[in-house]
Amino acid sequence: MNLLKLFLGPRDLGQTKASGLVIAAFVLFLFALPALISDYEAMNFAYFLANVPLGLSMALIWGYCGVLSFGQVAFFGIAGYFYGMVAGNMVGIPGSEIIGVFTAVGMSVFVSAILAYFLFFARVENWIIPVITLVFTLLLETFLAQTAGYQWRVGTVLLGGYNGMTGIPSMRFFSGDPLYGYSFYYYALGFVTILFVGLRLFINSKYGLVVVAMREDLQRTELLGYDVRVWQFGVFLLAAALASFSGILYVQWGNYITPTQLGLVAAAQPVIWAAIGGRSSLFAVFVATVLMTWFAFTLSTQGNQLSLVFIGAATVVAIMLFKDGVVVSIWKKVSALIGADRKT
Amino acid sequence: MDLVPLLVSLLYQGLTIAAFLILCSIGLMIILGMMNIINLAHGEIMMIGAYVSTILVSSGLPFFATLPVCFIVGCLTGYLIEQLFIRHLYDRLLSALVVTWGLGLILAQGTLLIFGPFMPSIEIPFGSIQYGDFTFSVYQIFLVAVAFGTLLGLHILFHKTPIGLKTRATMQLPEVARTIGIDQHLMYSLTFSFGSGLAAFAGGVLAPTTTIAPFMGTQFVAPAFITVVVGGAHNIITGTLYSATALTAVKTPVGMFLGAFAGTVGLFVAALILIRLCPNGLSSIKVFRTR
Repeated sequence: MNLLKLFLGPRDLGQTKASGLVIAAFVLFLFALPALISDYEAMNFAYFLANVPLGLSMALIWGYCGVLSFGQVAFFGIAGYFYGMVAGNMVGIPGSEIIGVFTAVGMSVFVSAILAYFLFFARVENWIIPVITLVFTLLLETFLAQTAGYQWRVGTVLLGGYNGMTGIPSMRFFSGDPLYGYSFYYYALGFVTILFVGLRLFINSKYGLVVVAMREDLQRTELLGYDVRVWQFGVFLLAAALASFSGILYVQWGNYITPTQLGLVAAAQPVIWAAIGGRSSLFAVFVATVLMTWFAFTLSTQGNQLSLVFIGAATVVAIMLFKDGVVVSIWKKVSALIGADRKT
Repeated sequence: MDLVPLLVSLLYQGLTIAAFLILCSIGLMIILGMMNIINLAHGEIMMIGAYVSTILVSSGLPFFATLPVCFIVGCLTGYLIEQLFIRHLYDRLLSALVVTWGLGLILAQGTLLIFGPFMPSIEIPFGSIQYGDFTFSVYQIFLVAVAFGTLLGLHILFHKTPIGLKTRATMQLPEVARTIGIDQHLMYSLTFSFGSGLAAFAGGVLAPTTTIAPFMGTQFVAPAFITVVVGGAHNIITGTLYSATALTAVKTPVGMFLGAFAGTVGLFVAALILIRLCPNGLSSIKVFRTR
């Protein structure tokens, strides 16, 4: 089958049917998980899944396209806030949550397009993009942190300054019940699975080849007849859209968002998931995102002050010692042992 | 209101903003110009400088005597970072960037764990003078002198000394510089520690004007990065100077009418437009190039 062949393509782990089964088993395990855990635990676990699109967006832009962006959490935050503003003003109207989702993604992509226009059409040097996106994230956090007070409101929704926006409506399909527990878990998992499979098909297609080619050598790609400015622009927008899905899932999960979620520290998260997983493998980043958020969640619920030191240290160690990422390294070791996978 | 004091006040505001931008960015600029690496722990190294001077002042040392110590501590920190981490990542620049960022997180959170969230602030030396309807802080004028003095000193260092010649040679064509016997790795570690030293010095000298806290580095990061992006890596001194001038011309009026945060947003917008017009930075414009 053509799609299966594309799915097992050359630009991610799992290129044979046997190793593709491992990936399928992982996803199936996630689908079967609610049978083992309670409604409440399923809701907690959905939080780890909600972060996956953000991790995938980092893999796409940094791992596959070779453009390091610290702006992914900003697009996450923009989407979260816009969903809150739109859905929060239309409480009770059937379908308002779905309108909120589309507006939120649209606004994130719109903002990312402005940034991407200035960055990619200027053909800036490689180091400028992380710096500019980092400053953007910082400014957005600073701006939102000072929006306390009644004058900062959109319709009936308060932006809330440093305490953030609260009471954001949960996901609901038209006049159904708000999703919680098992139902939210499956909603998030379905969302994430579609994005993962879709992105994997994209990256293994001939379009994905152009994306990877730009990472390897921008000039050569251009000489092959591709307008790299337009391509980078497009990939940046796609990554922003992915990050915004995470933002939407997050606010639908927790019903609130604060400027901290898109701050400097939060910006570290997707970078570390990508670095630890192995940034040029979607599957590895998927696994690393779930495991790392689980780990960070456990640390922070125990009120551990050291968690930031851990995050920083883990980043440094992952970059210094595991050039390809921890998950990818383990995968390669194991598959070399049993001779299951072709070399990636 | 008289016109002359108003103009003097405008000049004062412009110069203090320019001095702030120069002090924040110069250490970063040196490392970038030489090694093409952005040190994302830059804000944290400035924070270390501020902490060193605060701790020494509260243990009885006069403020100005602490500044050389800031510089030395910064140099040592930079040297360690270069030796332990950056050295191994010369062929992976984006990874080097991520590593410095991880280090920045460790430094900031580590400081919070060791010293707690607050430090006593340093009293601003010198007091102030009155002219017309305006009050000017003498220390801010001193900072202007320090900033431009630093640029002048660097100009002499880079253009009038043998080590400066070697530095510029390595910046321009590292391979050729190696063939005539310049130790490139040595130049890189010297540059990284010197740049970090300047950053810590800047942190120390700016310490009296700000609150001392573990995450204080973030307030320097945005102006410093914007200055560096606009200036470009072609010439450290002219790059910093032109960039600081252009950004001051934006920030002074915007900040005056709309407040400090709008001023910083103005900087960001100006940076986006300037890199669109001149992607390699102002120092790459032919008229300005002096190298």
